[in-house]
Amino acid sequence: MANEQEHLERIKQTIIDGDNQASVDAVKEALAAGVDPLPILNEGLMVGADIVGKKFESGEYFLPQLMLAGRALKAAMSVVEPVLKEKYVGDEAVERDTGIVVIATVQTDIHDIGKNIVASMLTASGFEVHDLGVDVPIKDIIARARDVKANIIGCSALLTTSMPFMRDLINLLEAMGEREHFKVMVGGASVTPEFAERIGADGTAPNAIQAVKLAKRLIREQREAQGAG
Amino acid sequence: MLLSYHDIMDRALSGPYLNEEEWDLQKIAMTTARLVEKYKLTWDPGVIVPDDPGLVDAVFEAGLELAKEVGVYSRSTERIVEFEPGELEEGMRLMPQTLVMGEGKDARTLYARKIMDDRLPLVWAGSPGTPFPEELFLPSVLSWAQEPIVDMVTCGTLMHVDGREIRTADPIEIIATRRELQYMRQALRRVGRPGMGMLAAQSSVSELGDLAVAHPDYLRPCDSHLVPMLNELKLDHRNIARAVNSIEYGMRNASLPCVIVGGLGGDAPGSAVVNVASFIVSSLAFLADYHLCHPIHVRHIATSTRSVMWVESVVEQAFARNAPCIIVSDIYPKSGALTRELLYETAANAIAITVSGGHLEGCGSADGNLPNATGLEARLMGEVGHAVARQGMTLQEANALILKLLEKYEHVFDLPEGNPGVRFDQAYDMKTLRPIPEWRQMYEEVKAELKEMGLEALG
Ligand code: B12
Repeated sequence: MANEQEHLERIKQTIIDGDNQASVDAVKEALAAGVDPLPILNEGLMVGADIVGKKFESGEYFLPQLMLAGRALKAAMSVVEPVLKEKYVGDEAVERDTGIVVIATVQTDIHDIGKNIVASMLTASGFEVHDLGVDVPIKDIIARARDVKANIIGCSALLTTSMPFMRDLINLLEAMGEREHFKVMVGGASVTPEFAERIGADGTAPNAIQAVKLAKRLIREQREAQGAG
Repeated sequence: MLLSYHDIMDRALSGPYLNEEEWDLQKIAMTTARLVEKYKLTWDPGVIVPDDPGLVDAVFEAGLELAKEVGVYSRSTERIVEFEPGELEEGMRLMPQTLVMGEGKDARTLYARKIMDDRLPLVWAGSPGTPFPEELFLPSVLSWAQEPIVDMVTCGTLMHVDGREIRTADPIEIIATRRELQYMRQALRRVGRPGMGMLAAQSSVSELGDLAVAHPDYLRPCDSHLVPMLNELKLDHRNIARAVNSIEYGMRNASLPCVIVGGLGGDAPGSAVVNVASFIVSSLAFLADYHLCHPIHVRHIATSTRSVMWVESVVEQAFARNAPCIIVSDIYPKSGALTRELLYETAANAIAITVSGGHLEGCGSADGNLPNATGLEARLMGEVGHAVARQGMTLQEANALILKLLEKYEHVFDLPEGNPGVRFDQAYDMKTLRPIPEWRQMYEEVKAELKEMGLEALG
């Protein structure tokens, strides 16, 4: 019989290999063997995801590996998450800094490589990501964010001529009285921190690793604000 | 029989359905990885310009196999456009071998170049698609159009018109694209070369602006516009509208696949395979008259990175040997105006392209993202290209020279903020439209260094 460490090691490896069937099996077997879901998440899945992210940044891994790891993680999460929730219901210590993100390249813009990398990295970091694709009208982004009760709306735009739609989105949220419900992060090669601030976004990031950090920070801020409120 | 546009549209409506993620992972990533294995394609980052006919032929074969096996994906209908046996080959056979750009005394003939061709590459100057404030637009175009070495011109995109923000697919896009062409035509007249050929309508981000300038007062039939392919091996109907619009008008279509090196194709060899397939497919699906070769690096963007130059070189050699056609290759350096590195990057990239069988387009300095481009680096691009052809540089000599140049600029890829340099108006005197003395001096010094390093034919 495998011990806990071996189970965690195997789980980690399935993410690094981007094998979604194996990751589900590995998590199921670990749970069946009585391994606690919390280390499965933090010492198995997340460690694997972290390694994949680093390999991508260093040029050892390419986009397909990143996408496959994201898939494998998503599949494994669907097994471990319910168990985790049940076991640790109401336990503050387990309250994680991930949440639900709706992400899209805004209307009229079809650049999606950067957005896809950000989406894969967020998935690989444990966020529930709804990627709406490219050229997405802002009203559809908002509608989906409401539907899935997103914590964060992420907008990508690479054209100076599509960036104004990100401002429209924030203005529309305000007009609808819904600005408080979502954190909005924006990105793309021409998006600067000044631009993000000027349009009233909650932040921007120059690459996917920073985007994950930003998303985590926004989730914490949101939880703190809710705690305080 | 060559496919008509109706056939492509019919197939996009009736081909097999597939969700886009499956296309990306199963069709593109998996098939490419398998072909890289099958043809045993590898690359060595110490060899930027390979002298290895077996390798480039294998990349070509693998690319053709990919195109035949997967076809092209229509994002508009989520269906696959498949090709019948023989169709792709016929499409390649019909690719123009020469193409006259421009008119009258300013006309130039693009031609399918060979490897180590001693005929001069054509010099297509400008920072393609880069956002420029309106007040810098005309001066920037003049700065490269006035260079005698330049054969054709392109331009950036307008960020504003009359102080108004431009939004894609908004009525203002029509105004912006027409304004862009007004400036372009004005620039050509001012430098005394009114007939020079153009690649323009860059401000047309949707198809709107493009349709609005297909008129002899704006883009003439002797000019060209681009039809972008989506990554990887995808089309959408709005971009196809651009190609369709120019069929009867007779304007030239340039296909633009920006294959991501490190993207779905994986490392450089797989990306080269995807690029070959993209050109083959766009001969038919985009009615391309010529191809723009513009692979990009997944993290650094720049075409002057090792892996991207390798892909450019291998793809150009592959077509030169197996299916000659006109390839114009983009130079997008990391660095911007008034930096030495911009000049080194431009030189290295121009050497790799010229010796491998491409014509030159650029420079999209500072990643094509800032108005930090000038006519001076376009001049150097042309001069280096001409020197390479004139002195009959071999692939191996080119490779050795590029490796030396990499030592001088490769550090810019580690700079967190890049190496953007300065805006056009800080590198050029806005009254005389000449480079400021520091910029001019940097250029002279780098040119002297290049000669010293072995580019003897540099004038
Ligand atoms: C590849 C590319 C294309 C490909 C896109 C393929 C695709 N599937 O995405 C194709 C060929 C289709 C294309 C088309 C066009 N393009 Co283009 N393209 C590029 C290029 C060379 C690279 C973009 C890229 O993928 N970079 C790599 C990724 C990894 O980087 P990234 O996108 O910046 O993403 C990172 C960060 O920004 C951040 N991030 C991204 N999104 C988000 C979101 C959030 C929430 C956060 C926090 C962070 C974040 O993290 C990412 C990962 O590190 C850029 C040049 C450049 N300097 O960016 C031009 C560029 C963006 N394109 C440009 C233009 C003009 C066009 C066209 C209009 C050309 C034309 N005239 O037809 C069309 C536009 C069509 C349209 N409607 O959108 C201009 C834009 C100028 C402007 N006005 O602003 C640029 C700057 C270059 C240029 N000079 O032409 N293009």
